[in-house]
Amino acid sequence: MIKLSTLFWLVLVSTIGFAMFAVKYGVQSLEGELNRTKRAIIAEQHAIRADEAEWAYLTRPETLDEMNRRHLSLGPMSTKQLRTSITDVPLRVVAPAVDIPVVTVADEPPDSPQSTIPTSTIAPILPEKPTDAAQLSKAAPAKASAKPVPPRRPRSLDELIAQVAASR
Amino acid sequence: MIAAQRLDDNPCRPRHFKPPPCVAIIPDGPAKQALEACRIRLLVTGGLFALVFAVVALRVVEIVAVGGGTAESQIARFRVVTEPAPSHADILDRNGNVLAATLDSPSLYANPKQIVDATEAANRLVRVFPTLAAAEVYAKLTSGKSFVWIRRHLTPAEQYDVNQLGIPGLEFEHEERRVYPDGGLTSHVVGYTGIDNAGFAGVERGLDGVLRGRREPLELSLDLRLQYILHEELQRIIDDFTAKGGAGLIMDVNSGEILAMTSLPDFDPNRPTAPDPEHPSIPLADRMFDRVTLGVYELGSIFKIFTVAMALDCGTATVASTYDASHPIKIGRFTISDYHGKHRVLSVPEILMYSSNIGAARMAVAAGAQTQREFLARLGLLKPPKIEVSEVGAPHYPAKWREVNVMTIAFGHGISVTPLSFATAAAALVNGGILRPATLVKPPAGYEPQGRRVISTKTSEQMRRLMRLVVEHGTGTMAAAPGYVVGGKTGTADKVSGRHYAERKLLSSFVGVFPINNPKYLVLTMVDEPHPNKQSHGYATAGWTVAPATSRIIQRIAPLLGVQPVDESSPEVQRALMVESLQGKRIEAY
Repeated sequence: MIKLSTLFWLVLVSTIGFAMFAVKYGVQSLEGELNRTKRAIIAEQHAIRADEAEWAYLTRPETLDEMNRRHLSLGPMSTKQLRTSITDVPLRVVAPAVDIPVVTVADEPPDSPQSTIPTSTIAPILPEKPTDAAQLSKAAPAKASAKPVPPRRPRSLDELIAQVAASR
Repeated sequence: MIAAQRLDDNPCRPRHFKPPPCVAIIPDGPAKQALEACRIRLLVTGGLFALVFAVVALRVVEIVAVGGGTAESQIARFRVVTEPAPSHADILDRNGNVLAATLDSPSLYANPKQIVDATEAANRLVRVFPTLAAAEVYAKLTSGKSFVWIRRHLTPAEQYDVNQLGIPGLEFEHEERRVYPDGGLTSHVVGYTGIDNAGFAGVERGLDGVLRGRREPLELSLDLRLQYILHEELQRIIDDFTAKGGAGLIMDVNSGEILAMTSLPDFDPNRPTAPDPEHPSIPLADRMFDRVTLGVYELGSIFKIFTVAMALDCGTATVASTYDASHPIKIGRFTISDYHGKHRVLSVPEILMYSSNIGAARMAVAAGAQTQREFLARLGLLKPPKIEVSEVGAPHYPAKWREVNVMTIAFGHGISVTPLSFATAAAALVNGGILRPATLVKPPAGYEPQGRRVISTKTSEQMRRLMRLVVEHGTGTMAAAPGYVVGGKTGTADKVSGRHYAERKLLSSFVGVFPINNPKYLVLTMVDEPHPNKQSHGYATAGWTVAPATSRIIQRIAPLLGVQPVDESSPEVQRALMVESLQGKRIEAY
């Protein structure tokens, strides 16, 4: 009888001891994993910050303006394009003529679908003064070919940081 | 013993009889004492063990049942990695575009004692950093020290490349760097930082305490799109009229928020001391100088709006009052004359419309020096402007306010203020008469900015009508932006050079408000020393330089700001902007 109870206590103690150590090591490894994950999150957050700064750099109004000139030629909206009252909207759209003249953007191959737009649809969004747009589109490539890109305009944030580091 | 054995072994003993077991032999003497000591020790040891186990058991009971707390309360005890806050918070514009960011920028160092093959390492490092000299790197790697910098502030791509090399003994030191993705566009507003990221100028310096150690980014009231438009248009006037510089700002007249603020020439906050590759001749001090908040200027005729508002508000004049502007005024060694004199008696609207110096001077004299000084002080023009930027210029004005000063201040000479102070005060004239301090920080949603009434609602309404006249018929006709009902005032001041006014050196400025019938935004543009060109028919005055620029700016920004164009000839707009004293009269063209 005495031997049985001794056995019971021994088994209990060893089970509890084993369980305790198992939990302890489990917690430790979980803690390690948590720290690893946190570190990874922090690294990722830093990368996101860098990417956000890079995004801000690549979407500077200056860059967007240049890209607009090169690819879209959108002008500021004029008041004539705005119809603020419902009575200003015409009731029926007049059907366009059959042979639509086609405007081709010079820089792109003529078969690309974006480059062929019927004039009737883009007429209202052309800038007020076409001479301006013409000058701008002329000026842009001339500037690019005139001299190599000065160090002032790095093409990515990496380059910018490198330049900043070099200048300090 | 022998007797007992004998008894047990005795086959004749009765069955039920069992001899009692032998009584333990209790020894006597020293053996007995030793046994006694053992027993006591056993007892004490057992007692101690029992006590310890009881303590442990009690503690277990206590932890589990009484004082252990919840599992969550134990989390703090674990050592967990937390992100160190960046030394300075990011700065964003009102739409969340990044204006300044603190980025990780690791620096590469080497422990030469751990470098196995210095030649190989140097060659491979030079492949990653082509600007480094192999010999130099080799010398560093064989220096025998335990720490040498290879390169500071690496880009993420460079760090990746160095990691790819897999050279033992190369380590990274964590450092931070302030980056301004928009470069010169917001240079004067945002400012720049020096080594260890301390703010040196602009908001970086003015709000250094706020930015330091803060996690969430700081949102400015600036709108990057508007900033770009203002910057571009100002640069265009400067180029067209070969001017020395320019300044401009766009302000919400009802809240004092500054939506755009630019001073040209400017600098790149990423490399503040580097020369401008496009204009290397412009000195650094000139590019660093903030003309909006720090520069004080005699702004000239745009000051007449204050003179007229003062006269109307204090009751020394009504819209129908007239002043004799037929002859120049001679006072002391000065002669006050009109640029394009009408040589007749002018009414108040005409004085503003044709920008008559004589008329404005007479109007101010009628109000008196005391009134003028008090009025300008009430508008905050006799104190440095309050703004989040650290560079602010104190105004210059005469210590003794004599009659000649009254006359010249009436048309904006003899008093120098910052364009920012001017814009803040001008916003109060049109927004219904409430002066609200200008701010560069975006207020929280629903925040009602505190203001102080400086003129009556009625005077403010009259001022709106008069300023509309200037653009409709007066000196500022080129500022008109169809549909946006612009009102404003031109100002062309002669710059002081030495003790005299220089005839050829002008400071042209224009303050425009739109839509003037229900003012929302104010655009102030100023150009320093413009020179006439062919397109402007030999003029460099405000009407030919900054007024057309204001028109272009308003036409570009109004759609972005959600201002709906209206039909300017519609009866409601006409009624809102009618000047009664001019009704039925023929208005002379300027």
